[in-house]
Amino acid sequence: MERNRPQLSQDELQQLRWLLGGILTLISVWTVWYLEIDAWVLTGITTGAVLLTLVRPGLPARLPPQVHKLAFPFIVTFFAWDLYSTAQWLPAVIRLDILLLLYRGCSYRKKRDDLQIIVLGLFLVTAAGVLTVSLEFAVQMLVFTATTLAFLFVVTLAETAEGGRGLLARTLGGPAELPAAQMSGPRPAWTEVRWRRLARRLREVADLRLLALGGVLFAGVVAVSALLFLVIPRFQLDGSFFLSRFISAKSRTGFSESIRLGDVIDIQQDNSVALRVDVSDPARVPAMPYWRMVVLDDYRDGQLRTSRRLRNALTLNAQTTSLVRDQLRPPAGTPASWTFYLESGISRFLPLCGPFTILRFREPQQALHQSELRIVALRNEPVTMTAYRVEGMVADGFVSDRLFGAALSRAQHGAADGRPARPDLDEKGRPRASYPLTTLLLPEQQGDRRALQRMVEEVTGGVSFSAVEFAARARGWLTQKHGYSLKVDLPGADRDPVVAWMESGQPGHCELFTVAFTLLARAAGFPTRAVTGFKGGDWNAYENYFMVRNSQAHAWCEVYDGGTGWIRVDPTDGSAPIGAGPQDQAGEPAGLRQPDRSWGARLDSIRILWYRRIVSFDQRTQLALVQSLKETTNRFRAALRATFDGAAASLRQWLLRPWDARRALGWLGGAGVAATGAILWWRRGRAWWGRLRGSRAHGGADPVRGEAGRWLRRMRGLREAKGDNQEVVAELLRLRYGPRRSWAEPRAVFRRARRAAREWSQRRRSDRLFGR
Amino acid sequence: MKVGREIADPSVDWSGPGVRSRRRWRWSEILWALIYPSRTQRVMPTVSGIVLIGLALGIGSAAYNAASNILFITLSLLLACLILSGVMSWLNVRGVCWRLLLAPPLRAGQEKPVTLELWNRKRLLPTYGLWFELTARPVPAGPQRPEATFRATSGEIRAAFTRFEQSTAATVLPLRERLDPAGRTQLDWVFTPSRRGRVRVELTSVGSLFPFGFLRKNHGTQLQREAIVWPAPVEYRSARTAAPGRQAEGGRVARPGAGNDLLALRRYQTGDSHRLIHWKASARLRQLMVRQFAAESAEGFFLWLETPPGSWPRTEQFELLCRFAATLAEDLFTAGRLTGARVNIEEPMAIRRVRDLESFLDRLAVLEPEAENHPPEPSRRAGGRETSPDSSTGFPAGRNRRNVITFAPEGTRGVAAYVDGEKSATA
Repeated sequence: MERNRPQLSQDELQQLRWLLGGILTLISVWTVWYLEIDAWVLTGITTGAVLLTLVRPGLPARLPPQVHKLAFPFIVTFFAWDLYSTAQWLPAVIRLDILLLLYRGCSYRKKRDDLQIIVLGLFLVTAAGVLTVSLEFAVQMLVFTATTLAFLFVVTLAETAEGGRGLLARTLGGPAELPAAQMSGPRPAWTEVRWRRLARRLREVADLRLLALGGVLFAGVVAVSALLFLVIPRFQLDGSFFLSRFISAKSRTGFSESIRLGDVIDIQQDNSVALRVDVSDPARVPAMPYWRMVVLDDYRDGQLRTSRRLRNALTLNAQTTSLVRDQLRPPAGTPASWTFYLESGISRFLPLCGPFTILRFREPQQALHQSELRIVALRNEPVTMTAYRVEGMVADGFVSDRLFGAALSRAQHGAADGRPARPDLDEKGRPRASYPLTTLLLPEQQGDRRALQRMVEEVTGGVSFSAVEFAARARGWLTQKHGYSLKVDLPGADRDPVVAWMESGQPGHCELFTVAFTLLARAAGFPTRAVTGFKGGDWNAYENYFMVRNSQAHAWCEVYDGGTGWIRVDPTDGSAPIGAGPQDQAGEPAGLRQPDRSWGARLDSIRILWYRRIVSFDQRTQLALVQSLKETTNRFRAALRATFDGAAASLRQWLLRPWDARRALGWLGGAGVAATGAILWWRRGRAWWGRLRGSRAHGGADPVRGEAGRWLRRMRGLREAKGDNQEVVAELLRLRYGPRRSWAEPRAVFRRARRAAREWSQRRRSDRLFGR
Repeated sequence: MKVGREIADPSVDWSGPGVRSRRRWRWSEILWALIYPSRTQRVMPTVSGIVLIGLALGIGSAAYNAASNILFITLSLLLACLILSGVMSWLNVRGVCWRLLLAPPLRAGQEKPVTLELWNRKRLLPTYGLWFELTARPVPAGPQRPEATFRATSGEIRAAFTRFEQSTAATVLPLRERLDPAGRTQLDWVFTPSRRGRVRVELTSVGSLFPFGFLRKNHGTQLQREAIVWPAPVEYRSARTAAPGRQAEGGRVARPGAGNDLLALRRYQTGDSHRLIHWKASARLRQLMVRQFAAESAEGFFLWLETPPGSWPRTEQFELLCRFAATLAEDLFTAGRLTGARVNIEEPMAIRRVRDLESFLDRLAVLEPEAENHPPEPSRRAGGRETSPDSSTGFPAGRNRRNVITFAPEGTRGVAAYVDGEKSATA
């Protein structure tokens, strides 16, 4: 029998409603923690206030009514001032949203206010999801949805338990009342909350089976929404992303056009994954890939910059497109496809490890492409994860640039008309060398230059070398003289810090090695530039992709070879080949090396699944999915048909085997037993099953009803007889089917039934005896 | 044997989705019913529902505009929540059946509970948050006129609607608590019939906002009960000269009552006192028999109502007549002095038991002025005497009627009762 579960009272429902509303407010507001919007103070205040009113629901009643009257004008004024002072729509709207949630979360609510919390929260969660495209959004959305559904469920129950006064009013046109939802005034009775008691009551009321069913239903919601997500038709409308227009983001300076010494090292302190790369052919990934991002040609006073001319060149090439073509011709055979997922907050420069054929964005972007520098950048810092696919990329340590030599010569010796190249201006308006002369720029102080010349003499011994030979010798000189260390104490002097470091013999990090090599090469007359990006990565064995962490941020150099292009030189790593392509690099490709099977990799593989299956799902993937479904169906059909054909062939063979008496009898016996079983089930089993189900449906087997049923079956003939026996039959029918309150005393009825049955059988016997 | 038939089929009287239909549904029909509800089901979005639909539309258009899968996820979740709402609502109502219990007697101007009994026949799931819209409206007397086109001004139509609404009592009964699996509960509506006649209590719809309040679902029902509303009691004044309460003379009339003399034996009926069981007779006849006693009074009164429209031109006065006659009949029966009653020239009815009195009150409840079926001569002027009444009906036979109470208008508002032509009471 069903256990009699208690029911929550009206006050307890209101308390539960208050609790769920507060939780929903907190879940919504906490999205700001990873939204990177300047609303920390407001979020903290909201969290504190909502938690306080959750614990002490009577507090809002103590607020004077003027607070409620002034709340809305204050919020509007705050929003106007915020918008005026920051001139950023989205952050201002988000702060307004938080303020409204703060007010609603700390005041007594009517149903429409509950609804307002849901809408405001949904806006926050969705905006955070859209702006970050992070996996956390999925988790938060699920939690938010589950809480919202529970909240709405309790609101509906509370409204019904209130007696449906609002309902009555809507139905019959009377006045609507919702007494428990006063904004101010006397303190409602339900605010006397004892949370421990409420928890105990909830435990009493809860039914595990129903909770399990609720869980199954919620899983069903997730499954249905996943299905809907897959089948909702997608159209490419070429619209740009609307929310990102109203917000700006700042990436780390290590991967920007201007970095100070130590910025890249700062990035290395972070071990989170910055870049994920799906490669169609893992063998194409070199043993030690260099993910090239920013080219910095200008060095001055411990700061590396991209010179103004290069920046302008990049800006001029900007266009809104979803397709970028590089100069590389499509290679023979099947080109490898590289899909990059660059996390937000890294850089607007996209990591690439060599020339490519085509780069595709998931959606149209304002992209900048400089083929000589082999740089692809976005116009603005991306606020979301950026996904792009590169076709036909070949990992290579050489950047082809056949025009550089002519340009440098023109800059050094003036143009054909004899006019010198127009110099750039620095921040103070002083003339400064422009690209490509910046690739030969040395520190301004003569002392530094003399020191550099001295070092070059040490490296070369006065012999003239090619760029590659000089690079090898200079790198060897540096690594011999300096060890590697992340902690560097630069000598404080009026001199250039890197030149001073070079003379000090202290250990240094990649940036110091890079700048030092750059200055050495320039002093030797080789145009050189610095490059920042990532070096290396780990192969995730769970989902087969390449993970590049922030801790793998790196800086290296590129030296002009004097005719065709730029050769990569990694001065930090003495063993790395100079300007090596994949075919030249020693060791097994990174994709096939010892893969990462750590828990971190396992967790990270969830994120790549999120990016692959959800974030990057588009019309093309949808069509591929349909195609895959079609192929699977065809395969299944073919397999099913093959199974049937096989079974038919087996049966045919079995039938064609010689039949003897024993075999035939055995099979006939088996068939007979099966037929008997089927007939028994048909005759008795079905009825038994029906009775079992019927008795369950009536709340379990009742012995009185069962006994009455047996008597009725026994008296089947008697029921058709006329006379007084009809009353017994009626009593039995009442016992069998009627409500309990209509029952006569069951034992007496059964006695009468027994007597009637006995008399009836005696009568039948005598009738038979006398042939009547 | 009505009782037996009802008991044999336990779904008699019950209606609603929980009543098992003998019809075998196909899956396609069930699916189609989920997509396109039947005409009796009405689904309207609430404010929350409208907000949800608006949000879904806004997020959908933004998702297409921005090609953002995050927005598509949000849209999918919203749509899935709508689907979940429909499924849970369907599960909530499924297996629930209801019936209206309306026990007579109903009397105009007096409160009477109408009970709605609910039964959740589901094995696992409870049912929450239903509401039941009940109406009680008078059933027009006489045959229904066929529909016809007629002209009327808007004021007349409004007035007709107002009259209709005024005569209609309605309520919404909410199911405030959870109805557990296999559980039953009763919801009571206490309503007061405004006037005598037939009243039809109808469960017009069963509504629900369950589970999330997005949609207001109404299941139209055909469940209705008709009942007869007896006239309201009225105060009257007795005239001393010929009051009905006087002790009558003459021969004894055998009729059941609360006296000491044994009148007869009859079969036991549900509700009879166990003290009345005649055990010897029961043992001999093998069925329960109870004693029936004779009434204390030997002689009683006979009520005769004549309702020619010419005599009762005023509706209020006719209503007063019915109330007066009903009150008088009950008073006389209580005093054990009512022998029978007759309306116009209909068959006279003997009133010996409560059931007889109820039949007479039923007749009074639906009584209307009739141009036919009344004697050519008002009986109040034919107040003759009779020596022996008809034993089957209690109606005095022949010309010499005795103790016959008749009624006639008094003034423009009142009604007077005459005993054998003598005024005995006024109301």
